[in-house]
Amino acid sequence: MATRSNPIQDQVAIVGVGSAPYSRDSRRSLLDLGLEAAVNAIRDANVDRSQIDGICGTGLGLGIMVTHGPGVLSLQGALGIPSLSWSMNGWLGSHLVYAANAVYSGTCDYCLIVQAEHRITAYSQAASQDPFRLRASRFGVHSTVPNVHYSEGWIHGAESYAAFANRYMHDYGAPRETFGMFAVNNRQWASQNPAAVKRTPFTMEEYLEARMIRKPLGVLDMDLPVDGAEALVITTAERAKDLRPDPVFLHAMSLGQAPVAEFYENGNWGQQAPWKAFQHLWARSELQVNDMDLFYPYDGYTPISLALTEAAGFAPQGEGWRLVQDSWNAEEQKLALNGRTRVHTGGGSLSHGRTGGTNYYTEAVHQLRGEAGEGRQVKDAKTALFGIGSFFHDPAAMLFRVD
Amino acid sequence: MGVPAVSDQEVFDAFPDVYLTYDNIEHFRGLLQHRLLINRCAECGFWIYPLRPLCPQCWSRDVRATEVSGDGVLYYQTTLLEGRRIDGFEYPHLAGGVELAEQKGLRYLAPIVGVTGDAVEDTPVRLVWLDTTAGPVAGFTPRAGE
Repeated sequence: MATRSNPIQDQVAIVGVGSAPYSRDSRRSLLDLGLEAAVNAIRDANVDRSQIDGICGTGLGLGIMVTHGPGVLSLQGALGIPSLSWSMNGWLGSHLVYAANAVYSGTCDYCLIVQAEHRITAYSQAASQDPFRLRASRFGVHSTVPNVHYSEGWIHGAESYAAFANRYMHDYGAPRETFGMFAVNNRQWASQNPAAVKRTPFTMEEYLEARMIRKPLGVLDMDLPVDGAEALVITTAERAKDLRPDPVFLHAMSLGQAPVAEFYENGNWGQQAPWKAFQHLWARSELQVNDMDLFYPYDGYTPISLALTEAAGFAPQGEGWRLVQDSWNAEEQKLALNGRTRVHTGGGSLSHGRTGGTNYYTEAVHQLRGEAGEGRQVKDAKTALFGIGSFFHDPAAMLFRVD
Repeated sequence: MGVPAVSDQEVFDAFPDVYLTYDNIEHFRGLLQHRLLINRCAECGFWIYPLRPLCPQCWSRDVRATEVSGDGVLYYQTTLLEGRRIDGFEYPHLAGGVELAEQKGLRYLAPIVGVTGDAVEDTPVRLVWLDTTAGPVAGFTPRAGE
């Protein structure tokens, strides 16, 4: 039940989605991947490029001034888009929230969002053998983790997630298989997604035996660094209805944030950003969590998916692991939360590949249009819920719906 | 006390990878002196970590780096088995967030040494200084007899 007004509700819609192929080694630049996704999304939206007047590109760090990469500065010129009234860069799921607000306010009318990712040296030791990747790591094109003092060292690394997973198991009695169910589920869906990089299903036994990296997290708990890109075109709901019969409406959104240390050691389970994000989202919607057909909890590390499952309201704090166990369909090797909600129908970051969660948005659009393809299409899917971001900072809570 | 004086330049030289500011340099100077210093509000006594210049409770800017007792409990932990190079450390090793005795939620990331078998959350620990090739690091070890 909504507890406050939400003027933007259903007023902005996705009218175009596009992707570039996912692979471990594309031998293509980040910009090239981003441009392919952008062209596909603009064509899918059936708008002329001269109508695009807003761009949210990829990037952190030096932000808008990043050149050569898939930031707005390079994207606009490379795509031949003559004039913008709004631009910025972003990452994870938050770019869509920024862009939606820009469209709703009228600062731009047709906004292109591009997120391109490489298997960068910070995520992949093998990537350091590639001279192109090594060189890119010096130019702010890839976001990288600085070398810091030990006491500040857990930023963006698996350590804090692993330590919180241990604490969760200690406090609530959860078994490691809880995390494995997300991993097995995502791979099972990826096996039905031709775009996914990892498509061979694995069993829970294989999950438990996989190489351990940060106890209790092994290699199958961690997302898959890939080369790939996704793009979206959004506009007002009114324009969207003129463009195509099946626009996907942005129903409610928030960017969660909890007071947090730069080094990720403060706060407890249940007090972090995911809980804030969904608290603010549900205050802006009359829909209920159990009405959701599709759910895309960030899976950079499996404990984030569990946290987001609780934060979204599928289960109270500390009881998500029981819900996951009760929602496990052993025959399918997939989750159906409360017997209904499907999770990561494209394979997620764990198996489709890591593009910061933007692939969840494009996968959901295909599902909600009914075009996801045989084996993967969830029948009559009308709603999709997202929590895209870290356990510790800026997860975008987002809800898509179709008529 | 006989704490050796350490100049700003010596701190910069000792920690080339740390973003040193006026807000955190006393902490790193303290590491070189084997003193674990955390910013503390001189008006209301609140401990402030990460090392920031404003008390988030009372908004006082009278913040002073203050030595802690070195006692705490292991709030959470993980064993690091492989991965990118961590200066001064080898794999595998145990690391954790230690909740310092001074204040609830005041946690410091540190290597945990002297643990036999599996590490257990809420184990009482005490400060121990590790002199690594990357400089002094505040580590923690289980308190004897507890």
